[in-house]
Amino acid sequence: MKSFLLFWISLVAAAAAGAQDYLTCSFVPGWEQSGAKRSFTPDNLFDYRDGAAEGYLIFSFARMQGIDCKSGGVTLAIDVSDMTDADSAYGMFAANRDTSQPIAKIGMGGQLLSQSLLFAKGRYFVEIVETEGGIDQTTVLQSFADKMLPLLEGRDTPPEALQWFPPENLISERLVPESVLGMKILKRGYVAKYARGQAFVVIEDSPGAAADTMQKLRARFGAAITPTMLGDEGFSAKVQYLDGICVFRKGRYVAGYANLPDASQAAARSAQLFARLP
Amino acid sequence: MLGAPKGRYIMSLKTSRRDFLSAGLMVPVAGAASNFGLLQSPDKRPAKAADGPAKLDYRVLGSTGVRVTTVGFGCMITSDPSVIERAADVGINYFDTARGYQHGNNERMVGAALGARRKQLILSTKSDSGNKASLLKDLETSLAELKTDYVDIWYLHGKDKPTEIRDDMIEAQQIARQQGKIRFAGMSTHALPLMAEWTVQKRAFDVVLTVCNFAIDKSMDDAIAAVAKTGTGVVGMKVMAGGFRDIKPSNPLYSKLQRDGAMLAALKWVLKRPDMHTTIPSMTDMDQLDENLRAMAEPYSAGDDKILSAHLEQIRPLYCRFCGECDGACAKGLPVADMLRILTYADGYRQFALARERFQELPVQHTSVRCGDCAECTVQCPHGVQVAERLTRAQELFA
Repeated sequence: MKSFLLFWISLVAAAAAGAQDYLTCSFVPGWEQSGAKRSFTPDNLFDYRDGAAEGYLIFSFARMQGIDCKSGGVTLAIDVSDMTDADSAYGMFAANRDTSQPIAKIGMGGQLLSQSLLFAKGRYFVEIVETEGGIDQTTVLQSFADKMLPLLEGRDTPPEALQWFPPENLISERLVPESVLGMKILKRGYVAKYARGQAFVVIEDSPGAAADTMQKLRARFGAAITPTMLGDEGFSAKVQYLDGICVFRKGRYVAGYANLPDASQAAARSAQLFARLP
Repeated sequence: MLGAPKGRYIMSLKTSRRDFLSAGLMVPVAGAASNFGLLQSPDKRPAKAADGPAKLDYRVLGSTGVRVTTVGFGCMITSDPSVIERAADVGINYFDTARGYQHGNNERMVGAALGARRKQLILSTKSDSGNKASLLKDLETSLAELKTDYVDIWYLHGKDKPTEIRDDMIEAQQIARQQGKIRFAGMSTHALPLMAEWTVQKRAFDVVLTVCNFAIDKSMDDAIAAVAKTGTGVVGMKVMAGGFRDIKPSNPLYSKLQRDGAMLAALKWVLKRPDMHTTIPSMTDMDQLDENLRAMAEPYSAGDDKILSAHLEQIRPLYCRFCGECDGACAKGLPVADMLRILTYADGYRQFALARERFQELPVQHTSVRCGDCAECTVQCPHGVQVAERLTRAQELFA
């Protein structure tokens, strides 16, 4: 049985071309590998993450390599996921971090808690989790991250889009991989949650594509909209579920605010966002 | 082991497996959908009459007695709570999440989205912890994140072999129920054919969450029926079939499937089964919600059958219906149907170790055969399964 598992894992690992075989528990003295390394692709991630695998696939998951490290009675599960590009890796991090806790400067962004460390660097999303939940492991978690960071290629600054959102009363920012604001028309974009309301920026391929999206939005909201003089074109409305909303286009960006008490507040906040967009 | 298929069995989309009597009640819910359709795309047909509310179809979740809409809501990849809010407003009454989804963020979002409505709804979550203490700790966290003092169904998450369920895990569910923190105990699995016999004997669960879609084989079909027959509530997941799972909106095929109505047809196919009490399709936006609502308002039609048949054509080379037509056809005497079933354990249910064990249990005169040694395969599947390729894969994986 064990030999078969090893055989299978080696098959999968071979199939996952490009997967980096750098993971080792000896990053930190006193830690030893427990069991075989694991490797997953989009086809078999369900074996490991079950239904949660969908949350990886939606962020362009390409492959994962993992290892369990043991010291005394403590086990750390370390998993490194290749998310295809840096934006998706950061998006995965932002979707999984605890929004009530601060982000640390680890790679593009990280979150160090007593039993877990999540961070993104380049196209990689890293999870180090103490599997049974015991004593505070922050020192050990940080030590593993310190050793791994230089081995992970790629960007260590957050996506530029995060700088576009006005910082006042900002709670969290994330990449929504499909259906921003729950609308299929807004395919993929960044969303910032505020103490009140949320802002969004969808980056289309061209100004023409962005204009098409605006046209579809106008058709969707119908008679509820009022034209707003903002950017190349814009409108505001008060609609169910999104409350006061303002949407504008600036070149290839479709952006705005939603879930504010009324449309005029959404328009006022949108003007601040407009000023920060490139 | 349930589901060792023998004899003739032809899976047909047109001819239902059983007498699929209309089990649901089409119930219009007055007032459930005021302003419904405000965000409708003009080219979408909403699941409501011209001037009326959404039509909802209810079934009773086995012996739990709980009445659920046949279309529930899988919250896993939902990013905007407005979709969940609207689903609850229009009358969907079953929502599913899990402790492990997005490191807990999904439960937090679901709890916030349901808000004050929570007690009017059926809410389930899951834990994949492996012992009593961890499970109960997870439950406390789930309750806090979901902002509720109980969940209706609490699943042991992703159990694909009976050995993965220890007695103390079942004890944890019993304790939680005694404490009023859960109403019903559940188990989720991707491999019900491997779990059904044990589940039926053990009678430890009120509800089972299982894969169910138009591409399932007879072993899964039998397993669902066997579990439902005991009064266990049955909830369907992966209802759009694996073939759709990895197709994202950016993929042109995604638009094609939507345009063709394949996703709606797939959901309607599952709802044909009276032993499938509800389903939890994932939804990320209002458009998907509207489309899924239609599955409760429209019967499965000949047009749906045509759409799904066309999709089955695409997966035909991999998809054994276990009809038995290949019995005795192999020049080397291989038990073709058995070997394809074993391969299904690996490729379909992701149980590679079990598949290899079953393969190794075959007589050595079978395990030693290599299909590549034959100049031509004597087995011609009437349904188009590329038998030689599939058997070669089994030999490469397990021999």
